Amino acid sequence: MKKESKLYVVIFTFVISFVFVFILALANELTKEKVKINEELFQRKAILSAMGIEFKTDKEAYKLFDEKVKVEKIKDIDVYKSNVNGEDVYAVVFVGNGLWSTIRGVLAVNKDLTRIIGIDFISQSETPGLGGRIEEAWFKGQFRFERIKDGKIKMIIGGTGKGDFNHENGEFEAITGATRTSEAVAAMLNKYLSILKNLLGGELR
Amino acid sequence: MSEYNKVLKENVWYNNPVFVQILGICSALAVTNNLTNTFIMTIAVSLVTAFSSLTVSIIKGLIPRKVRMIVQTLIIAFYVIIVDIILRAYLPGISKALGPYVGLIITNCIIMGRAEGFAQSNGPIISFWDGFTSGLGYLVVLMVVAFFRELLGFGTLFGYRVLPEGFMSWTIMLMAPSAFFMLAIFIWVAKGIMLRKEAK
Repeated sequence: MKKESKLYVVIFTFVISFVFVFILALANELTKEKVKINEELFQRKAILSAMGIEFKTDKEAYKLFDEKVKVEKIKDIDVYKSNVNGEDVYAVVFVGNGLWSTIRGVLAVNKDLTRIIGIDFISQSETPGLGGRIEEAWFKGQFRFERIKDGKIKMIIGGTGKGDFNHENGEFEAITGATRTSEAVAAMLNKYLSILKNLLGGELR
Repeated sequence: MSEYNKVLKENVWYNNPVFVQILGICSALAVTNNLTNTFIMTIAVSLVTAFSSLTVSIIKGLIPRKVRMIVQTLIIAFYVIIVDIILRAYLPGISKALGPYVGLIITNCIIMGRAEGFAQSNGPIISFWDGFTSGLGYLVVLMVVAFFRELLGFGTLFGYRVLPEGFMSWTIMLMAPSAFFMLAIFIWVAKGIMLRKEAK
């Protein structure tokens, strides 16, 4: 068959696409389980660190989660429950739109919803080095035991650039150069704070 | 062996894909505010370029001229997705940090340029080497840009603090436009050295 004939072109394109896509599908299938375990682990680790439960290795995190955290379905939403240092802690997984993509994370609060216990992120695809910095310890540390004022948390733009660690003012600092992502996070947190208020106020108190 | 040496020198210096051919600028602007991300990204680009050049070179006798660009794109996309799958399964932390940039390697012009310009008319092993060294040329430039951006923007290198705590970080260095300035300065210096050598 001539190399430039129409039939050859069609057959060649078909065969080569088939071969490459087949290998990709195979590779995807083979690693599926592993990826799933990784995702499950990310979620468990995020819930633990949002609640302020410390762990060192991945294995320990997996075990601690089974031991300490209980899942309860309230109005079709999974609420994670635990007791940390004698205080009841509740957490939910939140989902929302970041600047580029969906951000998933965990928000943990205390029983009477006066303080955020902590937050952590499960997955995000914000710009690495800018919006992606929401994963950094200092950013998340701003929310540790932060007081909730009027059921809300407020964002400050153009602060010191090092974070707001006054945990009584109900404020946090946006990331320099990533104001939109920080805004998105604030909106998500405030939305889920009101959802949590609804959930916990309704059945737990 | 001298042929391999020549390819190395061409790709890293005399015909560097970034500062001579001005290719792959898009990612040079985006990922270079952090050394760790830059390093993993450029290594991934080097491997993808090397393997897609190798593959294109091996099957070049079978590819009809009409569809060669499409086939090259297919091969490149194939390797990029393989890299993505491997990272997600075995290095989840890094996969998380790089986020969308792994997928965007497909659009890097250097890979297509090497496949079309070199692998299409050379043997497999030298094509692999050409692809890999082109990636190295890209790595060197991006690492230099990232070094200054992370140092001045965050006061850290590879995430470790090197400048004192009181250092006022330059916010502009974290934004994409600063990479334009850094790259321009880099090209200026590199070209200056090159021209001076030629004059001698």
